[in-house]
Parts: sequence; C-alpha cells; structure tokens
Amino acid sequence: MVELKNIVKRYENGTVALRDISLRICKGEFVFIVGPSGSGKSTLVKLLLKEVEPTEGEVIVNGFNVTQMRPKDIPKLRRSLGVVFQDFRLLPNKTVYENVAFALQVTEAVPKEIRRQVPMALALVGLSKKANVYPGQLSGGEQQRVALARAMVNSPLLIVADEPTGNLDPDTSWEIMKLLNEINQRGTTVIVATHEKQIVNAMKKRVIALDRGVLIRDQERGIYESEDKNDKLFD
Amino acid sequence: MKIRTINYLIKEGAVNFFRNKLMTVASLSVVTAALAVFGVFFLLSLNAGYNLNILREQPEINVFCFPEIDDAQVDQVEEIIKNHPKVASYTKISKEEAFDKAINEILEGNKELLEGFDASIMPVTFVVKLKHPSYSVEVSNEFSGIPNVEKVESPQKVMDLISKLVYWIPFVSFLLLVILFVVCVLIISNTIKLTVFARRRDINIMKYIGATDWFIRWPFIFEGVIIGIVSAILAFGLTSYGYHVLESRINHDLENIGIDLIYLLKVGDVWVRIALTYAIIGVTVGILGSVTSIRKYLKV
Repeated sequence: MVELKNIVKRYENGTVALRDISLRICKGEFVFIVGPSGSGKSTLVKLLLKEVEPTEGEVIVNGFNVTQMRPKDIPKLRRSLGVVFQDFRLLPNKTVYENVAFALQVTEAVPKEIRRQVPMALALVGLSKKANVYPGQLSGGEQQRVALARAMVNSPLLIVADEPTGNLDPDTSWEIMKLLNEINQRGTTVIVATHEKQIVNAMKKRVIALDRGVLIRDQERGIYESEDKNDKLFD
Repeated sequence: MKIRTINYLIKEGAVNFFRNKLMTVASLSVVTAALAVFGVFFLLSLNAGYNLNILREQPEINVFCFPEIDDAQVDQVEEIIKNHPKVASYTKISKEEAFDKAINEILEGNKELLEGFDASIMPVTFVVKLKHPSYSVEVSNEFSGIPNVEKVESPQKVMDLISKLVYWIPFVSFLLLVILFVVCVLIISNTIKLTVFARRRDINIMKYIGATDWFIRWPFIFEGVIIGIVSAILAFGLTSYGYHVLESRINHDLENIGIDLIYLLKVGDVWVRIALTYAIIGVTVGILGSVTSIRKYLKV
C-alpha cells in the first residue's frame, strides 16, 4: 500500500527533514504519525503526494513508484488517494456540493455517477442539508467535514490527513477523528499526521513517532509518548 | 478529453466569470478602457489615412498655352498631357470659360474693365491632377518644354508639404499603433495576472485533488475569452457611439464654415474594421494572458 525505503530528505537550505526512514503501511490500516513541530511529519506527507522529492530512497504509494514518476502522471497518483489538510483547502467560489463533485469531475466521471456519489459522501459526513452553501458560511468543523467528503468521494484506497484537527476545537476534533475512523472501518487505509495527544492515546491505533527526522518508534495500538521517556522527549 | 468534460470546463469558465464579481468588473473595465484608447487612436489614423488619400490628389498644376495658338495646336498639347503616365486626370478650360472666370472671379463682375476685349486674349488652360504630389517638379519641368505652352504653375510648397505628410503620417501612425497595441497587451495581461494571482490558492487546491494542468487551464482560458469578447463589445459601443456623435458634429461644422478639405469617415465606413480589431485583440490577449500567467502556479 505505502512503502518508504531508506528515505532521506535534505532541503536546499541544508535542513535535513528525514533521515533514513523505512516503513510499510498495509491495506486497511489506521496509522498516526506523531512528533513535535519540525520532526518531519509534514515532509513525510508531502512525499506521499509528490509535493517534494526525496533526496535518497524510494516511495511507493498505491502501486505507483512515486520517486520515478513523470510529472504528467502526478494527477493519477493524487486521484488514487484522498487528502485532508489543516486549512481545509476548499474552493471558496464553489458550493459544498460542487467542491465534493470537483474531485469526481477531474477524473472525468460520468454525470450519473457524480449525482450518485456526492450526496452519499455528504450524507456520511452529515452535511446533506448544506449542499448548496458556500464554504465561507460554514464553521471550521463543517469545512473539514466537506474536505473529508471530497477526499473519500471517489473511493480512494488511501486517505492522507495532515494535521486535520489543527484548526479545530477539541470536540470538533473528536468528530473528525471519529469520521476518519469510520472511513477506515469501511476498508480505506488512513494515515493521520497529528499533534493530538489525547486522541492518539484514546484511539489505540498504530503510532509512528518521528523526532528530528528520525523514526524513533513504530508501535501497534500505541500512544503519543513512548512509555520509558514520557513527556521529556517532545518538550 | 471527453466531450462532457469540455462542456463542464466551458461552463466552469462562464460560472467563474459571474462568481468572481470584483475581478470580473476590474478586468472588464481595464480591458474596455485599453481597447477604447486603442480604438480612438485607430479611428484617428484611419481618418488621417483617408484624408491623405484625398489630399494627395488635391494639388493641381496649371498648364497655360499661348493665347494665339489654334485648336489643332491645343489638341497636340492635350494629347501629350492625356498620355502622360504620371497624370491622374485633367480638365481643359477653354478660352471662353477662362474669360468668364476672369470677369467673375478676378474682376468681381466688373465687365466694363474688359470692354473691347473678347475671349481670344485668354489662353487655353489645362488643370492637371497628378498621381502623387512628389511628381510635381518633374512633371512641371516636362510640361514647360511642350511646344506652345507658355508657362506651368504648380503650388510647389503645398506640394512639398503634402508629399512629406503622405510619407510620414502613415509611418508615424503605424508606429504609434504598434506602441499602443503593446501597451494594451501589457495592461490586459497584467490584469489577468492579478485575477489568476487572486485564485492561485484555488489552482493549488485543484492540483492536490488530482486535476491535470489542462483541466485547470481551460476554464481560465474561457473566462479570458469571455472577458475579451464582452470588453470588445463594450469598447465598441463606447467608441462607435462617441465617434458617431463627434463625426456628425464635426462634419456639419466643417461644412458650415466651408472647409471641404477634411472629411471624417462615417461610422458605417469603419465599424467592421473597429469591431474586428477589438475582437481580435480582446480574444487573443484573453487567451495568451490566461495561459502565460497561470503557468507559474501550476508547478505544484
């Protein structure tokens, strides 16, 4: 599903974001990627989307060899996965319905399919009644749910969420995580980069911890901090 | 690309045109203004060109024969003028016409001053129009050498001025049109750049969702085309109405004060050229502006 082989990412300014990271995420898994700011979480997510290129190593996502991919094939990779960002990234001039439908339009789906899939996705995130509203009129939590609906509307194999609750209050954050969990229960692989200590600890999912670009822990049913070092690590 | 996708992309362009109201109004007004300025100058240069063409045939040279020659000799002179390659047209003024003209125009009707004289004292005159004012010196000299021609008169200074104008005005107006065209293109494409800049985030988002570059580009291009066409129509309405009002007034005034040397073209004579120019500039700049300014934001 997702495989990183000996990834090193060195930015042009000399910062080393990832040092020799290797990991494998299988179909149907729910994985948290945790770590403090600057630990390399975002870089890892960007590698999966081919937003940045690794300096060394190989990235494989949904059967695509991301590192050797030609630029013109990037859209294919991005259509095969759903992405959720901290800042929602909805199109402000499109309604909720159109935002979700857009993910299907880019794949040139037949109109009938669009008319069927979009209401289903909106129903799943509980926003059927707001289909004709513009994103600006929604709360942060609602906007993120629209983004979730958009990420899953074309039934991707994988959903990648980069700090999806970073701009939300705790209650809303829980809603979003529960939705992600629900999507995962239906068979979609979910990768969430996050700071949410409480949620990570409560959900008991696989946790991959990064610190200064090094993979320090990969634990099934894990928690945010490692048991032995406790809070000190991320201070 | 599938037909329904093309339909969708065209519709997207139209929808963007209406939804991005502020940007649409901004680009429409800038493009319309740029086109209108261009159009005003274009009209000026069309009129200048038209009047020059009239003007270049205006100056005449007068060929006076000796008064005492007979009709056969006059015919010989006429034959030479008629067959001269640089002559556009000529009119022959007979002795009688010249005599009447002298009484009416020079003596202001005081017939008695010429009492005892008749038309035979007047020369036969040929009024010759040349194909180009610059020929006047050469042709005057040639005609002076024709037997039985007494003298040749040509308004040399006017001829020189006109031949300079005929040379310089099209050149200068073409140069100015080119400069103005470039300025228009820059202004319009800058405006498009602004609208694209305002939506760079949208472009970025679309890329993350997996849209291909052309999928993102087409709606912008269609939007550019719509802006180009609408601005062209607005600019056309503005300039043609303004020009119509101005033209009828100026032509009327000129007629009233008796100047028939300058004549402004009617809207009916120029509208096709103006409309075509607007449409071409509007649409090409709309397309090129969108394509070039969007490029930068597609690299994600």
